[in-house]
Amino acid sequence: MADVQLQHITKRYGDVTAVDDMNLEIRDGEFVTFVGPSGCGKSTTMETIAGLTLPTEGNVMIGERDVTNLPPKDRGVSMVFQNIALFPHMDVYDNISFGLRLRKYEEEEIDRRVENAAEVVQLEGMMDRMPDEMSGGQRQRVAIARAIVRNPDVFLMDEPLANLDAKLRVHMRTELQRLHKELDTTIIYVTHDQAEAMTMSDRIAVINSGQLQQIDPPLVCYNEPANLFVAGFIGSPSMNFIEGEVTDTGFSSEHVDIEFDVGTHEPNVGDRVTLGVRPEDVYIADSASSVEDRSARFTAHSDVIEPMGNEIFVYLKLGEPGRVRMDEEAAADQVLMSVDPDVPVEEDQEMDVVFDRSRLHLFETASGEAISHGF
Amino acid sequence: MSEESAAEKLKEYSPGEEPELDRGPLEQWAANMISNPERAYKSMFYTATVFFLVTTLFPFYWLLMVALTQRGSLQNIIFLPGSFDPTLLAEGEVTMGINFFAFVEVFTTVPFHRYIFNSFVIAAVTTVIVIVVASLAGYVFGRLQFRFKGPLMLLVLIVSFFPPAAFFIPLNQLFNTPVDVMRPILADGTLYNTPYAMLIPFSALFMPLSIFILTTFYSQIPDGLEDAARVEGTTRIGALFRVIAPLSAPGVATAGVLTFIAVYNEYFFSSLMTDGREHNWAPLVEGILRYQGQHEVLFNLMAAASIAGVIPVALLVVVAQEKIVSGLTSGALKE
Repeated sequence: MADVQLQHITKRYGDVTAVDDMNLEIRDGEFVTFVGPSGCGKSTTMETIAGLTLPTEGNVMIGERDVTNLPPKDRGVSMVFQNIALFPHMDVYDNISFGLRLRKYEEEEIDRRVENAAEVVQLEGMMDRMPDEMSGGQRQRVAIARAIVRNPDVFLMDEPLANLDAKLRVHMRTELQRLHKELDTTIIYVTHDQAEAMTMSDRIAVINSGQLQQIDPPLVCYNEPANLFVAGFIGSPSMNFIEGEVTDTGFSSEHVDIEFDVGTHEPNVGDRVTLGVRPEDVYIADSASSVEDRSARFTAHSDVIEPMGNEIFVYLKLGEPGRVRMDEEAAADQVLMSVDPDVPVEEDQEMDVVFDRSRLHLFETASGEAISHGF
Repeated sequence: MSEESAAEKLKEYSPGEEPELDRGPLEQWAANMISNPERAYKSMFYTATVFFLVTTLFPFYWLLMVALTQRGSLQNIIFLPGSFDPTLLAEGEVTMGINFFAFVEVFTTVPFHRYIFNSFVIAAVTTVIVIVVASLAGYVFGRLQFRFKGPLMLLVLIVSFFPPAAFFIPLNQLFNTPVDVMRPILADGTLYNTPYAMLIPFSALFMPLSIFILTTFYSQIPDGLEDAARVEGTTRIGALFRVIAPLSAPGVATAGVLTFIAVYNEYFFSSLMTDGREHNWAPLVEGILRYQGQHEVLFNLMAAASIAGVIPVALLVVVAQEKIVSGLTSGALKE
């Protein structure tokens, strides 16, 4: 049980900066998830906390101690790895008790603790099995038992569910939440799967190119993203972005105009800004009965329609009809809309759409910083 | 009957049913081999195996025959001991002239057990040193990234290119130089006639091979396992000996056994670093040469001593062979 602080952590590999001046404070007993795309430095950050990598600059504090130069074994952390990393030459009991035996605990104490840990992860009666005789989920449980058996101050998990199949992953997700409730230990969890991040964490730390973008509770990250990256990364499918300009009356772009009182918001007239709107905040004008604060109507043409069962994704082309592009570049005049499954939509249909003004986001295009959330 | 009609006759049969041809036994055998190549391969395999077994084991057989022959009858050995004579049974001699006593005489004539002990100890200690040091080197070469790794590895390789004889004169000089500091432990202050004079050069000479074997093996162990061990509470070296080395058991066994056998059989260095007496840590081969007197060479005892000397290594290989075989093949496949 301890809090974790990262103070100005920087890690360079030659010319590449993997982690760039990371400052982070994780409170005692908190479940914090690091999310970000592949290669963003989230695993490196975790390795510096574990002590497997030494930071080029900066300090790591666990509890009251500065552990920056301590080896992993003296930091009071335990870790679950993406590739599970059970010792293949030891049976389950030996794997779980490995750390305790190294620390010269008495045999009775080891027995008692291993039994407890096995009970928590529901592994009773499998003590004699070898890792290669077990299924993926069972192995993952052994890895978790090995990590909890030492009562660590901080519990590190590096994409522990990434190698499991989809169904087991959802199951283990709930197990981990239950575990966190039972153990009440600080947990730091690394994943690139935002569903895991959203469902399990107390707070999410969004990381991109080695820099911390935002650390906030999941819904804050979702509703009030700090910048364009967080807005685009959190949420699936991701937010629509429309680039435009601030005018006297509000936001203006080729196809979309949103009126707002420029005086009460920060941007100056003439600034390049980006408007962000989530797919579920786009409505067909005629059926948008529940939206109180509508924007002006504008014309769009549907292109591809993806019925998901509980909702329908409609790819819209603003202005003239045309084909939408699915790659990163062509977002300028297309918007993804999510509508209820009972709304009748067809391909190549002309329709008027509106945005929910209270759920629009405005970002400064150059820096990406959020200007305001909702008008 | 003309050839044409024979061909016609063949056509009448459908592919499934062949005509009964009139074949000689050799022809029949060849036909069987063609239609059933598995059998041909099998018999070729057995032929080759028998050939290799005979060529490798026959010298041992001959050695045994020499050992069992009484002195003076050595020229009579054909496939049985030279002094073998079944008629002696009638005279009440159960051994029928076979000299089993040679295996006892070996130890009474010369303290041969001490020579075996010397070689065994030197080989065992060298193996331990080589495995420990080569493990550290293998860990560094196999698992760490650092500058000049390639050139350093090459340097290790170059050391193994030198013929051991090239090191002999400087080493002999060095080991014959009295060092006053060592006087309390070594009688005259030199390493000559001590096991250290053999342990040190052997460890150095057989190190490169083991480094290469262990580098290959240690580099294959996933990083995650080492990280896990370190988080669980070992140091890097602890992870090496608790996780990486046990998982590379075939490689460690291969390196160890190769080193052990090479040192156990070593003669060149050991004969020059000791005066050949058993209490001065002279090795096995020196012991065998002790059966050579000024007037007589006791070939039968030499043969018996050779057989006695092989036994410890043979036992070791039998015990470790499963690991060695998998070690040699997996190393070959993975590199």
